[in-house]
Amino acid sequence: MIRRLVLWLDDRLGAASFAKQALRKAFPDHWAFMLGEVALYSYVVLVLTGVFLTFFFTASGQDVVYQGTYAPLRGVRMSAAYASVLRLSFDVRAGLVMRQIHHWAADVFVAAIVAHAFRVFFTGAFRRPREINWLIGTSLLVLAMAAGFTGYSMPDDLLSGTGVRIAYSVLLSVPVVGTWAAWLFFGGEFPAPVTIGRFLALHIMLIQALILGALGLHLAIVWHQKHTWFRLPGRTEDTVSGSPLWPNYAMKSVGLALAVFAVLSLLGGLVQINPVWLYGPYDPTTVSSPAQPDWYVGWLEGLLRLFPDWEIHLFGHTIPEPFYPGVLIPVILLAAYALWPFIEQAVTRDREVHHFLDRARDAPGRSGWGAGGLSFMVLLTLAGSNDVLARFFGVPVESVTNMLRVVVLVVPLIVGWAVYAACRELRAHEAAVPPFHALRRDAAGGYIESDHLTKERAE
Amino acid sequence: MSRGRRFAIAAVGLALSAPLLLAGSKTGHSLAGPARQPPPHAAPRAAAAPPAPPRSASGGDVRRGADLFALHCASCHGSIGQGTPDGIPLAGIGAAAVDFVLATGRMPLSDPHQPMMRRGSNWTRRQIDDIVAFVTSLGPGGPPIPVVHPEAGDLTTGGQIYAENCAPCHGASGQGAAVGGGADAPDLYEATAVEVAEAVRIGPDPMPRFDTRQINAHELDSLVRYVEFLPRLPDRGGFSLGHIGPVAEGFIAWIVGLGAIVVIVRLIGTPN
Amino acid sequence: MPPSERRVAAMLLLSIGGSAALGVVYGFGGQPQLEGVLLAVALGTLGGAVIVWALRLLPQEEVTDHREPEPSPPEVRREATSELLHGEAELTARRTLVRLLLGALGALALVMIFPIRSLGPRPSRSLFHTEWQDGSFVVDRNGRRIRAGELAPGSVVTVFPEGFVGAPASQALLIRVEPALLRLPPGREGWTPLGYIAFSKFCTHAGCPVGLYRASVHQLLCPCHQSTFDVLRGAAPVFGPTTRALPQLPLRIDPGGFLRAAGDFSAPVGPGFWELS
Repeated sequence: MIRRLVLWLDDRLGAASFAKQALRKAFPDHWAFMLGEVALYSYVVLVLTGVFLTFFFTASGQDVVYQGTYAPLRGVRMSAAYASVLRLSFDVRAGLVMRQIHHWAADVFVAAIVAHAFRVFFTGAFRRPREINWLIGTSLLVLAMAAGFTGYSMPDDLLSGTGVRIAYSVLLSVPVVGTWAAWLFFGGEFPAPVTIGRFLALHIMLIQALILGALGLHLAIVWHQKHTWFRLPGRTEDTVSGSPLWPNYAMKSVGLALAVFAVLSLLGGLVQINPVWLYGPYDPTTVSSPAQPDWYVGWLEGLLRLFPDWEIHLFGHTIPEPFYPGVLIPVILLAAYALWPFIEQAVTRDREVHHFLDRARDAPGRSGWGAGGLSFMVLLTLAGSNDVLARFFGVPVESVTNMLRVVVLVVPLIVGWAVYAACRELRAHEAAVPPFHALRRDAAGGYIESDHLTKERAE
Repeated sequence: MSRGRRFAIAAVGLALSAPLLLAGSKTGHSLAGPARQPPPHAAPRAAAAPPAPPRSASGGDVRRGADLFALHCASCHGSIGQGTPDGIPLAGIGAAAVDFVLATGRMPLSDPHQPMMRRGSNWTRRQIDDIVAFVTSLGPGGPPIPVVHPEAGDLTTGGQIYAENCAPCHGASGQGAAVGGGADAPDLYEATAVEVAEAVRIGPDPMPRFDTRQINAHELDSLVRYVEFLPRLPDRGGFSLGHIGPVAEGFIAWIVGLGAIVVIVRLIGTPN
Repeated sequence: MPPSERRVAAMLLLSIGGSAALGVVYGFGGQPQLEGVLLAVALGTLGGAVIVWALRLLPQEEVTDHREPEPSPPEVRREATSELLHGEAELTARRTLVRLLLGALGALALVMIFPIRSLGPRPSRSLFHTEWQDGSFVVDRNGRRIRAGELAPGSVVTVFPEGFVGAPASQALLIRVEPALLRLPPGREGWTPLGYIAFSKFCTHAGCPVGLYRASVHQLLCPCHQSTFDVLRGAAPVFGPTTRALPQLPLRIDPGGFLRAAGDFSAPVGPGFWELS
């Protein structure tokens, strides 16, 4: 029957020749190469659960009076969007578990992208000819964060609504065009009733279209250029080996997909996430503590909390304080991140094609900068929860903030320098080790020195 | 199977069973049988906290109170409660304030410059009544010990009052939060009905106060009913992570979520 | 059955069991924890079976692909480039038409941007003025007018102008302090009858409601980024990223004993923007 299917398709599409080489395509099996797939399968979960959620969500900011199952909010005015999420969580069979799987999948999706991106960074896989894919990957990261933000803001609960207010204020702070940009993008003075509908359109339509397009390109380029692999004895740069796509790698990948689905399902059922009924509906005149966004927005929140009260006044106009930590610095960071392949090329003057991966120690400068940058982002994310940290450690929040202001600038430099030095040290150590001689015993019982391995060491 | 693989599988199992164990221990009620959805929390009974010692109807003994005061309080508040640099004057502070700080163990405070915090109270009910009687004899004024009837309150009204006045500091679920200046708004899970009412009326440092003109007696009943309900808020989604919110969720996503997946990935892939 | 096959079979049977149990749970009305766990069992054991099958039962083989260098042969590159250039030259030969074409495309692109203007109203004077006016009654969330003498020192309540309860820009905090403690900026004498003092609740940093009041030290704290304001000095910032004090609302007590505003706030409320001077 499979034979008949193949013939049927080949008659119409000439598929057999493609299938012949595709099915035997080599996929290197290193475990770290699977992180991108983890992100992909998290995305699949997001789409599947997301479709279910769209059948129940009402994307309207119109006020309704809740008369549903959750007693403490009965008789309370809230947006139709919030009421629909309450209904989904309490009255729809499997509604809450679908919502929670969706939200956990979003958190893990961005985490997997970040982990994958760091694997690519520290192994230098973004070097020529893969710079385009690095740029596409960067846009996927930004799109994923945008999808997450619009997604968790749609229920219009007190916690996420506060975050939307902050986003509005940051947009407002842009010089010259800020007020227009905020009014147009959000549909009027905050809170505008149409904003939730716009978030829906962005979240399920525009951002998804962009993600699917970018994802398709990303995978097609990896397929076409073939995967990179680590330099080991016996390997050459102009080949790549691994499991064949069919059936070995396909099976492993399907297994990974199912494992990712399973982990997300387990979290979605057992660990509560975003319990909007506890936060209450959004009210622009009320707030609750502590107030944090989801983890991948935490670095922006940390910037807003740490940045000092500096403001520029120009000829009767203001460039308000939130502009610097909210817009200017993130754009600079993003640009540095996106353009890294070209920055590195300019600094190292290395325009060679690379299909071998570096170990971290092979590029001390890159590893140092990467470690410093990573620690900077981690510290900023922690700074976003400075009040939670203050309570946990029993110190005043002002002390935590002041300390982090210093730490966030000093520690990345130390970490970066330490990693740089460690990489150089490791490499010097390797080079200093005397050539490795292998001894073989021949049939007569004598010893023969094999310099087969020495030659590879010196490479 | 190699030892490495066996260890990895065990690690995955442990990582994934962690939420299971935590969920089971913390939210037993949400693991109620699969027969129906958990019943809506329409009319929870109020004051599930352990009952406070009943108040003596006739009040305490002023002389016994004076002796206790001289022993435990006078060193900071002055021999007749006139106040010292280490303790505020107590004339006219009212019965509710004294009762509150003693019943919740906030007083005596070993270091007068530390913020007041709930501690296990070692006072007996009789001792508290006696000290209350003595301090109120120093001068008139201050809120009396409120009489609350949470069962007569309305849960939704209480929730609204709570969201407006209390949630900004104590958190939407009553889990508490840092409020700056080294102060903490504590969690509300241990507070009894009377203690909640007293705190509302007196505004213990650094809390603002809400007297009867702002929150009348019936509204206070509703508020107390809601606060007593907070420990039983439905955590229908599973383990609540202490109601900290996205910070805790982010940690779990990385450590449990991505962590378990990375262990699985290492099982599937090769080391080089 | 060799041990690996038995393992795979066992996991597949577990998976079937998990799916069946999940169906039963759903049929009886569902329960979030059981749904999640059983789904995880069904998926996880299936995944485990597939992985063990792939790693232990399939013949392990390695294939090698040869990498072709990406750049095409030089003749092909030359031909492709010259094709492109040739076509371009043919087009740009008619220079006037090309200029008109670019003009037409540019005009169309420009006008296609116009619908962005339909997305929302123009930024309005609400950036500068709120619904408070001289004579507005100060009301609480239930619309009840506040009388002098209702608030004790150390109390705080969220208030609005009468008729605009819930209006975000007009939200204000009414606090009562001991009058002798006040150290207000000049020009605000008479704004605080009987120690009543009112500020915009709208944080001047990023717009969150400044909901936390530490009564004993008379400080307002915004939970979003910890901007802290000193009530006694006109809500001047004392910590945090905010650069501007909370605008103050002048108050007066009318002959009937009700609290009323004596005008709009002392400054535009909320976060900063370009047009703010």
